[in-house]
Amino acid sequence: MGWLYYVWLGILAVFQGPELLTVFGLPIPMTLAMVAAGFLLGIAVGSTPGLAGPMAMAIALPILISVFGFSPDALLPVFGFLIGIMKGATLGGAVPAILFNTPGTPDAYMTTLDGYPMTQNGQAKKALRVAHFSSASGDTFSDIVLIVCAPFLAVLVERYLDLPEKTALLILSLAFIASVIGGSVGKGLISLGLGLIAAYVGTGEDFYPRLSLGTETLAQGFPIAAVVLGVLIVGEVFKSLEDLWTEARYRRTPQETPQSGDQSLHWADMRRLFPYVARSAVIGTMIGALPGIGSTLAATLGYTTGRARHAKSGASPRFGKGAAEGIAATEAANSSVSGANLIPVLSLGIPGNAAAVFLILAADTIGGFNPGPSVFRFTADTVNPELVIAFGLFTCMMIANLLNWTIGGAFMRSMGFMSRIPKQLLLPVVLLLTLSSIYVQETRMEAIWFTVGFGVLGYIMRRLGISPLPFVIAFILGGKLEETGRQAFAATGGDAFFLLNSPVAALFVALSAIVILLSLRKPKEHRS
Amino acid sequence: MKSIFKAALAALGLSAMAGGGLAADWTPPGPIKLMIAFRAGGGADTQARLIAEDLEAKTGWKFIPEQVTGKGGMNLAMAIKDEPNDGSVIGMVVTETLGYNMKVANAGVTPEDYTAITTTAGFQMGIVSTADKGWDSFDDMIAASKEAPLRFGVMSPKLADIAYLLGEAQNAQFNIVQVRGGKAVLNGVNAGDMDVGFMAGIQSKGVAAGDLVNLASALSEPLKQTPDAPTLADLGVPFDADGYFLMIGPGGMPTEARDALAAAIGEVITTDGMKSNGMINKAFGGAAVIAGDDAQALVEGSFAAAGQLLEAASE
Repeated sequence: MGWLYYVWLGILAVFQGPELLTVFGLPIPMTLAMVAAGFLLGIAVGSTPGLAGPMAMAIALPILISVFGFSPDALLPVFGFLIGIMKGATLGGAVPAILFNTPGTPDAYMTTLDGYPMTQNGQAKKALRVAHFSSASGDTFSDIVLIVCAPFLAVLVERYLDLPEKTALLILSLAFIASVIGGSVGKGLISLGLGLIAAYVGTGEDFYPRLSLGTETLAQGFPIAAVVLGVLIVGEVFKSLEDLWTEARYRRTPQETPQSGDQSLHWADMRRLFPYVARSAVIGTMIGALPGIGSTLAATLGYTTGRARHAKSGASPRFGKGAAEGIAATEAANSSVSGANLIPVLSLGIPGNAAAVFLILAADTIGGFNPGPSVFRFTADTVNPELVIAFGLFTCMMIANLLNWTIGGAFMRSMGFMSRIPKQLLLPVVLLLTLSSIYVQETRMEAIWFTVGFGVLGYIMRRLGISPLPFVIAFILGGKLEETGRQAFAATGGDAFFLLNSPVAALFVALSAIVILLSLRKPKEHRS
Repeated sequence: MKSIFKAALAALGLSAMAGGGLAADWTPPGPIKLMIAFRAGGGADTQARLIAEDLEAKTGWKFIPEQVTGKGGMNLAMAIKDEPNDGSVIGMVVTETLGYNMKVANAGVTPEDYTAITTTAGFQMGIVSTADKGWDSFDDMIAASKEAPLRFGVMSPKLADIAYLLGEAQNAQFNIVQVRGGKAVLNGVNAGDMDVGFMAGIQSKGVAAGDLVNLASALSEPLKQTPDAPTLADLGVPFDADGYFLMIGPGGMPTEARDALAAAIGEVITTDGMKSNGMINKAFGGAAVIAGDDAQALVEGSFAAAGQLLEAASE
């Protein structure tokens, strides 16, 4: 059974999976419908300042799981919906940035620089078209790189890395994530350490629970959804509520500028924009492939590279004055992060950003698919179901891209009104939805208290300028790190120096130290 | 009015007791919470959920499945202990939970604190390697272990003890690697992270396809799939990894509730065409039903035997 056969099985898994309904005798596959629904919802969410893709993914996940259940059949519809949101939100973030000078998602900040001036010049529709064209191009490119690279990387890892090397690789990833996310290495390491402590409550190999303070409540450990949603979503809601409170004094109402002139995007425009899109797509994809560096850095790098190039050519208008090239350079870069971000997820099981965290969370909750190198085992005579799911996932991504190219633009341009939704209504709704969706999944009251508790932690971390992402990633990888470390120790016959005795493992450990030392030394301007 | 109500209730209670001899008369007082000690989506979890589904279809009882995983089922055992024992809360574990694991956990509970309802399926536990290793028999593997230590994958501390004793008995060198669940052993053996490992039925497809080899049976009797492979007793280990999936309830469950549940579960898993029956046949080599007092005796026996294994392994 060659890889082509698996590609075919993956496509079939999407199109011949469970049906939603039949229209004129034509069955509509559930997965397809879920990708479309997620994609449109994602655009709407991205267009709403104060909401972001990860928020929608977080709230949708428990609801999806309670609808689809825990069978492997649930994997593709759930993944499809989440991927749809992820892609839609990236696109939607440009809408309020261009129309109202308010970025819908953090990575769309650079889009405001040229997008809003274009709106003021009466070119809003054209600016949105440029954003759509660049975003869809960057996204598609990134997905193609993912589909080509992830299987090979996974096969390499599986063939050449033994248990000690895998342990060292996890340490290296965590060190890298702690160093590159957030304002300082120290804060990153604090966040990471707290995440590991939380992961080690109640877990472990022994039959008596660890760090549970003797209570039954902690003996099962913290539910993963409570921790992730608490820190990432509830913490963000708490902080935004406080921001609203302090900012309540002045409130801007978005102003509309009269629009005029040619609003369409011509072939000539596309040819002119293409170099900017291509360069940014490559930058975004490379950044996305490294765990932990987000799309904001990609957008910044894409924009500055584009600006340097543009200044050299001397064309007008200049960047910052309403240049379509500025939008193209930013949107292509931030959109090309999402696909490549799944390379470490699928080939190593290491999530690099919040969207990837929720995909891993989905896989973990539903079961039957364990992101990591073992997914890409091309078995000879029995079908490897995880590999089929992986190719089904790729199919979902390509379907989302197709939707992006066809209906994404028009839908996006109709979403301008979303930025008028007042935050004071939005945030309580998000909070309520998050808490109820956790209760749906965990069905015990402790889960709610844990969520609120971790929400407070997330709030404090944000207030102190500590990024919560290393916390969440460390929480997810903590169990795996301990397990692989224990196994490596046992497999090497109880060798205490298993991390240093093989050259590859020793190299990874040395790199971990170097990454942290270098980040300590070098002051960085751009951080995500 | 109140006294009439009380009298009616008493009458209802009496009639229920009178009919208690017939298990079929028992109905659960409400929805049944089904605790599952296995990770969502795995074979054991699927089995538990399918049994609940079949029972809902057949009896009209309502089930609410819930994951209570971790600590080899001890988390579930501790959680279910103080639940109502009227049959409205049951849990699926393995016999090892109430045996070896409960003994080692030393958490102040014994199998007497639980009601064993019925087993559903047994493990076809074998010692398995990939065919690529080129070992045709257990002796080939032992010969290989004399040259360099072999990595032996296990999925529970009890199996780790057995693997250790096997190494002692055969004078072989094993580095025993404990992982979570049989799927992880299978993946580890396939990926080359381990040379050999215990697998409790998950190997059957691979063995049939010729990719995997059952080198020995870890049971007291030969494996159904590879009857020629030696058993642990043949290899000089006086212990075995016999085990079953087991439905339990809190201690002191009324006999009619226990027997009604056991009878209903036993019926769906042994009836052709039921989903759980199909799944158990495929994944665990057929249903194995040991119900009621026999099941209770089984777990109490394995709790007692755990002490001997622990002692032997710590010598």
